[in-house]
Amino acid sequence: MIGIILLALMLFPVYWMVNASLQPTGNTLRGGWFPTHPDFSGYVTALRDQGRSLVTSLVIALGSVVLSLGLAAPAAYALAQFPIRGTKFVLLGILITQMVPSIVVANALYSAYNDLGLLNSYLGLILADSTAGVPFAIIIMRSFMQSIPREIIEAARVDGAGRLRVFRAVVLPMSVNALITAGLFTFLFAWSDLLFALTLTTTETVRPVTVGIYQYIGAQTDQWNAVMATVVLASVPAAVLLVVAQRHVAAGATSGSLK
Amino acid sequence: MSSPARPSARRIAARLGTGLVALGLVATGCGGPTGGAAGAGSAAGRVTSITALDYYTDEPEHTQWGELLTTCGKTVGVSVEQTSVPGPSLIPKVLQQASSRTLPDLLMLDNPDLQQIAQTGALNPLDQYGIDSSGFAKGILSASTYQGKLYGLAPNVNTIALFYNKDMLSEAGVAVPRTWEELKAAAARLTRPGRYGMAVDANATFEGTWQFLPFLWSNGGDETQLDTPQAEQALQLWVDLVESGSMSKSVLNWNQSDVSAQFVARRTAMMINGPWQISALNAAPGLHWGVATIPVPQAGQTAVTPLGGEVWTVPQSASKVRQQKAAQVLACLNDSTNMLALAKERSTVPSRSAVASKYAEQEPSMAAFVNSVEAARARTGELGVKWPKAAIGIYTAIQSALTDQQTPEEALKHAQQIATDS
Amino acid sequence: MRSRSRPTPDGTPRFWEPLAQWLFIVPAATYLLLFFGYPIAKNIVMSFQQYTITTFYTGAAPFVGLRNYSEILSSDLFSKALLTTVLFTAGSILGQFVLGLAFALFFQRSFPLGRVMRSLLLLPWLLPLVASATTWRWMLDADSGVVNGALRDLHLSSGVPWLTGTSQALVSVTLINVWVGIPFNTTILYGGLQDVPTHLYEAAKLDGAGPVTTFRYVTWPLLRPVVSVVLVLDVVYTVKVLDIILTVTGGGPANATETIATQSYELSFQQFEFGRGAAMSTVLIVISLAFALVYLRANRRAQNV
Repeated sequence: MIGIILLALMLFPVYWMVNASLQPTGNTLRGGWFPTHPDFSGYVTALRDQGRSLVTSLVIALGSVVLSLGLAAPAAYALAQFPIRGTKFVLLGILITQMVPSIVVANALYSAYNDLGLLNSYLGLILADSTAGVPFAIIIMRSFMQSIPREIIEAARVDGAGRLRVFRAVVLPMSVNALITAGLFTFLFAWSDLLFALTLTTTETVRPVTVGIYQYIGAQTDQWNAVMATVVLASVPAAVLLVVAQRHVAAGATSGSLK
Repeated sequence: MSSPARPSARRIAARLGTGLVALGLVATGCGGPTGGAAGAGSAAGRVTSITALDYYTDEPEHTQWGELLTTCGKTVGVSVEQTSVPGPSLIPKVLQQASSRTLPDLLMLDNPDLQQIAQTGALNPLDQYGIDSSGFAKGILSASTYQGKLYGLAPNVNTIALFYNKDMLSEAGVAVPRTWEELKAAAARLTRPGRYGMAVDANATFEGTWQFLPFLWSNGGDETQLDTPQAEQALQLWVDLVESGSMSKSVLNWNQSDVSAQFVARRTAMMINGPWQISALNAAPGLHWGVATIPVPQAGQTAVTPLGGEVWTVPQSASKVRQQKAAQVLACLNDSTNMLALAKERSTVPSRSAVASKYAEQEPSMAAFVNSVEAARARTGELGVKWPKAAIGIYTAIQSALTDQQTPEEALKHAQQIATDS
Repeated sequence: MRSRSRPTPDGTPRFWEPLAQWLFIVPAATYLLLFFGYPIAKNIVMSFQQYTITTFYTGAAPFVGLRNYSEILSSDLFSKALLTTVLFTAGSILGQFVLGLAFALFFQRSFPLGRVMRSLLLLPWLLPLVASATTWRWMLDADSGVVNGALRDLHLSSGVPWLTGTSQALVSVTLINVWVGIPFNTTILYGGLQDVPTHLYEAAKLDGAGPVTTFRYVTWPLLRPVVSVVLVLDVVYTVKVLDIILTVTGGGPANATETIATQSYELSFQQFEFGRGAAMSTVLIVISLAFALVYLRANRRAQNV
């Protein structure tokens, strides 16, 4: 019961945004508790030109998930299970990367991207957005993978499976939870990124939805209903994706093999 | 350049910026046609298109500027590619472009930022292009001048004034306040449950400073020396308004849009704001508003307000021809006809005084702004590139005084330290 | 596959062993070096230079040794910002970890719609910060905000100056940050809980252990590795929080919500003192690092690893 109340409190601001999105223009202050006279003009304004940005955001976020997990999973496994000397330093290095303010990274990347021709490109943004995802995914997956008993891996090796095969056929299936968790967050990191998108694009060719929202807000806006409508619309596809992803986290996916 | 290749040409244009040779193209193995820099809008010395960067991402202004740029481009035979970034990210973007030599051919800057960018050497002085800058308001020329040279011109300027709710004033039997004493009395009489008499933007940003300047300057205060009785009295006025309950303490957190929203929602009877809010006020059903110059300390004094507005500049680039074309477009943006049309569209004030007085006759609601612009001062007029430090000092003092952390006197002493801290 | 004889159980010559192991790490390591090594190096160099607006165009940035550092460390704002950072971080961690863990345990029990609710809980993270922070600003407005409206309706208070009181503002941004951080904590801790073998719970039940005892002796010890990761990441992420504070209070009122991170941003992008801003960023990284090292060491000692 307490859990439900807490959850309701957690979600109240979200409701408030939906409420604001249904108020008439310029009415952010007199809005009541409920949108008694729902006004969909905000949604009309929002749909006009944010469709493409939504697709852009999805492509970039999914690209970032693939790249981050592809780089991070093997590294996490190695750091969790191999007796490599220097593991500690590698881990500390990864932790340090998490401490760097994104703005420092964004500023440095601009000039590099400019030379490499990566400004205004999907690849450029996928690579940049993964700066949050890769180290994070390594740290998270490693902590999960440490709980995989050595015996299982040893047994597979004795059966003559090569390193890669063990990784593919034994470790990955056992780490579904870790992969999903890390994937979820890498998706969210990339999805919610505004800084890289603002810094590393100079035209409208590649424009994620966060930039669209930010440009709406501008310096002086009274179109808050349109802003919030965009936010609501932008959250729908991502929210659906999250629900679908969570379905795949079967309860206690690894417990069976741990007995 | 055939039209199907446009997207990649656009990409190359963005990459090549202001016309680097096609060498980089080959080196990075980009899949686009390696047909030279035609995409960058110059074929064999003939410039066919130039780039422009502004900070109006919101409609309708983005389109208004875009149309004017296109029109002016046509008169000099180039097409203009307009890019807009949100205001707060303009300067970081300009700095990045400056370091990678990819500045646009035409650049819009907020006037208090011009001197800092001119100081870097990234802008061209305009005197070499023979652009007519006669008849412009003094304030805007001083904002656009760095070390005696003119670097930019603004078609339109703006400033701030006192907006009031006509119905509330007549209901309370209050006349439009002209002096500080009248302002305090009126604000107190207009305050009701659920409604304040007065609202300003006193937040911890340059916006808060901008709203305070009319009170500081009209009282003879000055940004070069902040710990003076004149500045103290101005700050005391704001403190009094909050302490007496005539002004919400939330002014500490409001930006100018929030203040306008309060006014539209009938939660404040008066506010300080700029003409860019007029379209929102007109859109509010049943709201009868008026506008007057900001009250002055004593009757008969002149209000001195800060000058707002965006200036167009011509950044340095490798191509003299492009700069020439950009300067011609800039001149067209600033001619009398265009500035008047733009002012009408955007509820701002034309920068040429003669055009502005004609405009005031046509648009009576703008008279308060037109009158104030005549005496308006540029924020960077005295301190130049040192202005931001003083501005930070000012808003820090406002915040300390309104939260009772310090008396106005102590707060301004501290502000002076911040302003002169090298 | 097992027909050939091999020098080692897995069939690779001995000197291949470490190499094969490193091959798993190399791609990620290369990426991280490129995308973090270069920016960090650039930032550190910048922090020893007089790096201003002009530098961007002319490239001239004279070295000034430790002057940037001595200037920021001796400014009267620094100690205040440091204290604010510590309070903000401590408050945020406490709130989001405890609540995050509570939610994770709550979701562990299966009940109808549990999965959907778990996804809903991620919404605060999904929404663009700039929009949710703005929504919070309206909600917390002292006069017209819905939070004070509710308090007034319940006769609990006549109105709290959430954003305009110097101590209340810090509490408010901390609360908002907790709100944003809970989904992260819940999801990871929930994932960790899923990996606790169910037969241990069953065994505890047979031994007659209550929920508290079970949590203390079964759940918590097995969750520890995940907990320590979450806590370290929580701190590291919270210390550099920027957009929430900038949008909601702008560091005000009267600098009450200025942290090291907002200071660094303002030095670089409002005052264009990029050298000092870079120095401030470096200080920020050092603070995070110091915390992480101390914590990890203490943790190792506790686990006797």
